[in-house]
This record gives sequence, C-alpha cells and structure tokens, in this order.
Amino acid sequence: MIGYRSGQTLFHRLDPRSKLLFQIAFAVVAFAYTTPRGLVALTLVAAVVALAASISVRQTLWSVRFLFPFLLGAPLIASLSVFPLEFTPADAVEPALSSYRIVLIFIVSAAYVRTTPIRDSRAAIQRTIPGKPGALLGVGVSLVFRYLPILRTELLSIRDAEAARLGSERPLRSRIELFTTAAVRRSFAHADRLSLALSTRCFAWNPTLPRLVFTKLDIPILLLSIVFLSLPVVLR
Amino acid sequence: MATQTDSVDLVGDEVTANIARAALFAALMGGFAYVSFPNPLAVGVPVTLQVLGVFLAGIMLGPVWGAVAMILYLAAGAVGAPVFSGGAAGLGFLIGSPTLGYLWSYPIAAAVIGLVVHRGVDIRDYAAVSMPILVGAMVAGTTIIYAIGTIGFAVVQSVSLYEAFLISAVAFIPFEALKIAAAVGIIKSDAIAAA
Repeated sequence: MIGYRSGQTLFHRLDPRSKLLFQIAFAVVAFAYTTPRGLVALTLVAAVVALAASISVRQTLWSVRFLFPFLLGAPLIASLSVFPLEFTPADAVEPALSSYRIVLIFIVSAAYVRTTPIRDSRAAIQRTIPGKPGALLGVGVSLVFRYLPILRTELLSIRDAEAARLGSERPLRSRIELFTTAAVRRSFAHADRLSLALSTRCFAWNPTLPRLVFTKLDIPILLLSIVFLSLPVVLR
Repeated sequence: MATQTDSVDLVGDEVTANIARAALFAALMGGFAYVSFPNPLAVGVPVTLQVLGVFLAGIMLGPVWGAVAMILYLAAGAVGAPVFSGGAAGLGFLIGSPTLGYLWSYPIAAAVIGLVVHRGVDIRDYAAVSMPILVGAMVAGTTIIYAIGTIGFAVVQSVSLYEAFLISAVAFIPFEALKIAAAVGIIKSDAIAAA
C-alpha cells in the first residue's frame, strides 16, 4: 500500500502546495493530450517524478488493482458491438489511451502520498482555503487520519465476531444491517468522547500550524505546473 | 512554527460536536473500504458499504454536516489517507480515476438525501420520518450517484454513456435496493437511537 514514509528525496523537500498544484496541472495536460505522442512525453515526466520521489511503480499499480477491471474493460466493451456481433479494434484505441492516461495520473499522485506527512497536508489545506472552511477541512482531515486505523480495526473485529456467532449464515441484508448498526454506534461513541475532549482542550479556529515556505527547489515544479496549465489554452 | 498574535477563537460546543461526528463518519466511510460482503449473484463483484455510508450520512447528520462528512472523506483520501477502494489513496482518485464521478457525487447525494429527510437544513428526528420519504430520499440519492458516476466514467474512459453504464453501474445497482432496506432497518432500530 502507498502511504507516507519519511525520507530525504527531492519530493520530500518540496512544499506540499507545489506538489498539489503539479498533480492538477499534470492531470489537465494529460486530459488535453491523450494522444500517443502526448502520452509518451507524459510517461517521461511521470518516470522522473517516480524517481524523484523514489516510489515503486509496481507498488502503485498494485494499490489501484481494483480499478483494473474498468481500465481493461472499457477498451474491450468499446470495441464490441452486439447487433451484429462484431469486434472493431479501432474503437478500442481511444479508451485504451485513456486507461493509460489514468495510470500516469496515479503514479504522479502516489508521489505526493508517499512524500507528504499529514501535518504538512493539513497546513497546506488551511493556508490555501481561507477562514473557517479551511480550518474545518484541515482539522477534519487530520481527525480522519487519526481515527481511520482505530475504526478499521473495530470494523474487522465486528465482522469476525459476527462470523464466530454464525452471523455469516444470515441473509445478506440482515448481515449488512447488523454490521453497520454496530459500526455506526461505535463511530458515534468515539465522536461523543472526541467532542468532549476537544471542548475541554480549547478547540480553536486558529491553532498554530507548522510553517510552510516555498524554497528555490519549488521554482522548477511551479514553473512546469504553469506551463502544463497554460499548454491547452495557448496551443489551441 | 508560524507565530500568531491574535487571540484564540474558540469553536462553539455544537459545532465541535458536529465536526467530531462528521470526521468520525468520514473515517467510518474509509473503514468501509476494508469490509466487503460476498455477492450471491456474481462472485467477482463484492458488495461494499460505501453507498450505505452516503445514505446514513445524509439521514443521520443532515444535509449540511452529512455533505461535510463526505467532503472530509474525499479530502482525506486525496492527501493520502488509505480510504478508497482496497485501501488506496491519492488526489488521482478525484481528478483522473474512472470512478471520480461516483466519488464527487457522494457530497451531493448526502446533501439531497438530508434535505428531503429533514425538509430543510435544520435537523429533525429522523427515526420519526415516514417510510416513503426515507425510501424516496435514498432512491433519489442512488439516482444522483449513478448518474454523475456514469457521466464521469464515460468522460474519463472515453466511452459512450451507454457503455459506461454497462461496465460501471449495471452489476452494482441491484444491491442498492438491499442497502436501502438495510438503511431503513438501521434507522428504525433502537440500538442507534439509544446510543
């Protein structure tokens, strides 16, 4: 699974805001130039990003394996017609290029995930989106990071407990109902304790955030992002 | 650390409680990515609970905080929380994935379900809401999710709407009826009302 790991790669030292902008710029240019030539150029860019963030392409692909049926299925279904039953390979080209484009976008976004700690992401969110909406989004996102492992463990133990009592023999609707009822109760119990704890600890709209600064290292990636974002406009 | 000189601006108790509930609901949505149930009709397509989470967010948290919970879920996944299908993460899911339409539809669907069930933005007792309104709200939510999801799939994968619907929606829709029935059972159960 792709997750944050501390390190000293080039991507670790970039400002999270530059990395977020770059991902969006990369996606924009990938959607604008989904041609063989465009995708070859973007493959080179994605390869440089993978090296600069030292992420494994194989691991990235494994983390999105649940999408493979869609990525492979779309070109297949586009090339088939039922009445009359025909296989037209030419119709599969565009969906196949699109599938490849998706893989490239995932590699670039994995570089962010691997190299950016949640503290920095939270600071980036709150400094980009002003006022209370930004503060709400920032604190909410860091709480999701905090509670996800806890809830995941609890959900899996609810499922095991259900199976141990032969709950897995019940009809699907009843299984889902019992499981989700227990899961929602647990979540709300956590939420009640959390909100009490937050109130007693002076939960504020303006907490002190880690400092974020753009450095010289950010200049190339910011310039490249601007070029990417303007390409579709300038060249049309 | 960045130095701040303005005084502390405390968050009110009611908003604190809502933020905590929304964040925990978002984390619960993420936890649902790790649990799937075997599909009695097609072995390869497991039944997941994400859409049920959208229904419950709209009904239990209301239109505003239900939508906030879904936005927190998407934002946390975008910056690296492993909350998307199979424990994946990354902004790529929101800007390049074939499933992006489904993900972006969650806050909209939760808001619409909340608006219908609570008849406005103020929360009322959802356990007392009549069955037709509950079911109608969830059917509307399901329609929104599959409509936006299918359009997103067609755009990202460069296929027609019909092909997108065939590949991304048909196998999953029958189970939404099951999830609507389960949601009604959960809402009417005393177990949660007592919590």
